Amino acid sequence: MTTAVADRARRTRAWAGLAMPGVGWLIAFFVVPVYAVLAVAFGQIDPILRTPQPAWSPVDWDFAAMGKVLDRVFGGDLGRVFIRTFSFVALALIGCILIGYPVAYFVARRAQRSRGLLLAALVLPFWISYLMRMLAWTNLLQVDGYVNRVLGWLHLMDTPRNWLDGDWPTVVIGLVYGYVPFFILPLYSALERIDGRLIEAGRDLGASAFSTFMRITLPLSVPGLMAASVITILPMCGDYYTNTYLTSGSPRTEMVGNQIEFYLRGSSQPQTGASLVLLLMALLFVLMVYYLVTTIRQQKAAER
Amino acid sequence: MSRQRGTHGRAPWLALVTWLYVLWSLLPVLIAVRISFNSGKSRSTFQPMSLRWYSGDATSSVWHDDALHLAMFNTLKLAGLCMLIATPVGVAMAIGLQRWRGKLSNGANGLMLIPIVTPEIVFGVALFVVFTQVYTGVPGGLTTQLLGHVTFTLSFVVVIIRARLAAIGDQYEEAARDLGASRLQAMRLVLLPLLGPAIFASLMVVFATSVDDFVISSFLSTGASTETVPIKIYSGARAGSTPALNALATVMLVFTLVAVALAGLVMRRMRHHGDGAASLTGLGT
Amino acid sequence: MLLGAGIPLLGACGAKESGTGAKRDSIADGLQPEKGPLRIINYADYVYADVVADFEKKYGVKVEITTIDTDSEAVAKLASGAVKVDLHHSMNNTTIGNLILGGLLQPLNKTYLANFSNVLPAFSDPWYDPGAVYSVPYTFFGTGIGFRADRLDPALVDQQGWDAIWEATEFKGQVSVLDDEREALAMAMLRRGVTDINTTDTAVVDLALADLVELIDLVNVKVNIEAYKDIPEGTTKVAQTWSADLIAGAAGYLPEGETSDVLGFWHPPSAEYIVTNDSMGVLADAENPVLAHLYLDFLLDNQVSEKNFSWNGYLPALTKLDADYVIAQGYVPENLRNCVPTNDDIAKGLKYRPLGPEGQALYEEAWSKFTAGG
Repeated sequence: MTTAVADRARRTRAWAGLAMPGVGWLIAFFVVPVYAVLAVAFGQIDPILRTPQPAWSPVDWDFAAMGKVLDRVFGGDLGRVFIRTFSFVALALIGCILIGYPVAYFVARRAQRSRGLLLAALVLPFWISYLMRMLAWTNLLQVDGYVNRVLGWLHLMDTPRNWLDGDWPTVVIGLVYGYVPFFILPLYSALERIDGRLIEAGRDLGASAFSTFMRITLPLSVPGLMAASVITILPMCGDYYTNTYLTSGSPRTEMVGNQIEFYLRGSSQPQTGASLVLLLMALLFVLMVYYLVTTIRQQKAAER
Repeated sequence: MSRQRGTHGRAPWLALVTWLYVLWSLLPVLIAVRISFNSGKSRSTFQPMSLRWYSGDATSSVWHDDALHLAMFNTLKLAGLCMLIATPVGVAMAIGLQRWRGKLSNGANGLMLIPIVTPEIVFGVALFVVFTQVYTGVPGGLTTQLLGHVTFTLSFVVVIIRARLAAIGDQYEEAARDLGASRLQAMRLVLLPLLGPAIFASLMVVFATSVDDFVISSFLSTGASTETVPIKIYSGARAGSTPALNALATVMLVFTLVAVALAGLVMRRMRHHGDGAASLTGLGT
Repeated sequence: MLLGAGIPLLGACGAKESGTGAKRDSIADGLQPEKGPLRIINYADYVYADVVADFEKKYGVKVEITTIDTDSEAVAKLASGAVKVDLHHSMNNTTIGNLILGGLLQPLNKTYLANFSNVLPAFSDPWYDPGAVYSVPYTFFGTGIGFRADRLDPALVDQQGWDAIWEATEFKGQVSVLDDEREALAMAMLRRGVTDINTTDTAVVDLALADLVELIDLVNVKVNIEAYKDIPEGTTKVAQTWSADLIAGAAGYLPEGETSDVLGFWHPPSAEYIVTNDSMGVLADAENPVLAHLYLDFLLDNQVSEKNFSWNGYLPALTKLDADYVIAQGYVPENLRNCVPTNDDIAKGLKYRPLGPEGQALYEEAWSKFTAGG
């Protein structure tokens, strides 16, 4: 009896030991760094060289910078940046769903001979650098570029449009283009896992293809849709390079990430930048927790 | 790969949308590749073909511009080292987390997942702050970038491996144990070979993620000697740029695709089954 | 080249307490140069690689350059000790004082700097470093308007002055201002006749901010430092730029078949013209201080400087390379003669001065509001 208990304890220690290097790594290079952001946000700065002096102990925390940031976010100019960021992200997500759902659905459930080829095409963008793909777009969007030529040729636009002039549609299109591959794949794998017998049962009971989709496939794909959405929303909220790259610094398309970068790398107030990071994390907290909870639940189910 | 498939009726519209999407997602890249062969400086239109931006131009071609090959070399070195560190640590962590049933295991599990859902800018800022404030002894540049990339990619490895572990179950190891293998032997001789395809998938995902990373590399870059290809492309849009940038991106693209194709061949040799595209991205579960 | 003008900024590492005061000892006379490598911190592509190679050959040493994006980044890295170098290649006027006060620079021993006599008199005793004790000038330039002379009448720009940016409504999306809070806000102040560009009066800064915000809807303004290529390439028509950008643009970024006639530059009269310079200095904890002195002297050499200028377009602060000379040598086209600030411009021109912590915060907040869209 006691040896069995001791044996189990020993095994637990062994498995825990196997996980330890990874856990230690994440504590050293993820948990501590995030705490350091906290310490900078609530710390002081050197009076002459303006470098941060973090407050490591909560006793020394100074909430002045955070207070000011909150004032500016709720009822001030920074609030607009947050609203703009979330609007861009929402529009881009709608774009991802409109494009990504039909594609994922077709490849997962309808494509036949072309399936392998299509799967390869869906995975391919992962192997092409994000910035390479943005570079490709800036090539196309020049005033004398191919987008304007095609639009002119189709008579959709008489005078060439300056796509890179710093307006929001270019940024939203860029975000959709950049992130839709990350949206499609998780959704594809969720759709692919739906039990075909359920769909056939629906058909056998006389439902039309459309109503089978609406009553069976769509509801069953909701968890996959949610996961895919969370996976795309979170990185988009911290994006600051897509808009800068596509509009070369237009105040109309500034996102939260740009303000964070400015305050942390180009200003004398790093605490403000650190406070913005904390605020962004707090606003995204619900989505993050949703992802964690559902993922852990799925893991447990899979391993039972 | 495919158990059942809805075969009721054809879906011409869906097919059209899908193929249009494929065209839309890949055509711009093909055009960018074509522009890299321009003989002139235009980055918007096709010009007569030449290798000027690869090797012809004596100062600013990929072959002759030191800054460009340095960026390429840095990117590959970073990605290679990152693979070598993140994969073993991640595999061990996945096996450990899957079997460790202690009070703390849930916490460790959650901790492992958080990096996946953390916006990269948070990562970049946090690492930047910690390396300038706390770990000041760590040499800046490549070392800090590497530590950052490993942290960022570790969780992907764990997720991919765990998905595979769940699929394998523990009956194979049990069988080996029944036949007299020690726990360690069972793991080494049975489990690890079974994990082969997933380990390959992890290596590739880590490689692709590291090669692609801009935010962390940029926050932790200490200058020209630590610039990577994405940093070059990003700052190239701001500084005067030529199709040499397209050429650089094209070389990297070819490099990555060849690496992926080779890895794919090896995987096929190992007769894998069950791992779809989802595990390739690590986001499927 | 002087992004983030103002007080040194963000940074790194509280390990080093600043305010220990200026360092007083310079190196002794007649020392042998060290073996190197000489480590330099500088903006990317701001010094001609061939010039650096010449120095390496002359002294048989290696030179390593760490690049930075902004002035503040350099200060942060140096102050934290994250980067250790011998020489700062391009210090901003407004930060030199803090670097001295923070004990980061060492006084120069002029016996190593025979070429210091080549420096323009206006920079041999500069306001930011009286007596040029800690620094020697590298390049200088003024802030004005760069524009497409084939699309805008130079006489009209001359008449409108800074208003030309606000009036450029027919070029929506093709107008830019410098990505620098001091520069952009000072422009808005000057447009309203405020010449105290170092003011920390909230009302003045707020008004300047409101004027900048107007530009967002009026001309869909962009904020960047890319005019040096965007104007020659035609994607920007009117921009707040540094004079040197036009010289560099004319030399390297015009599409085939176009001449520099398509470029124009305007700057305010001397008394309202902002002339800035970048300076070089040796770090207090340099491991190769003698070599660093030799490098400074090397770059103050007329020929070396000329070669460097022929590549980067940023005028060195040397007497020999005046407007007549650089035009005669073909480095600067005649129609861009006004891109070379005159002695009068330097003497009478406006200067950026440090704002102090509160003032800097005021400007940064205004800047954050502007770039956020108003």
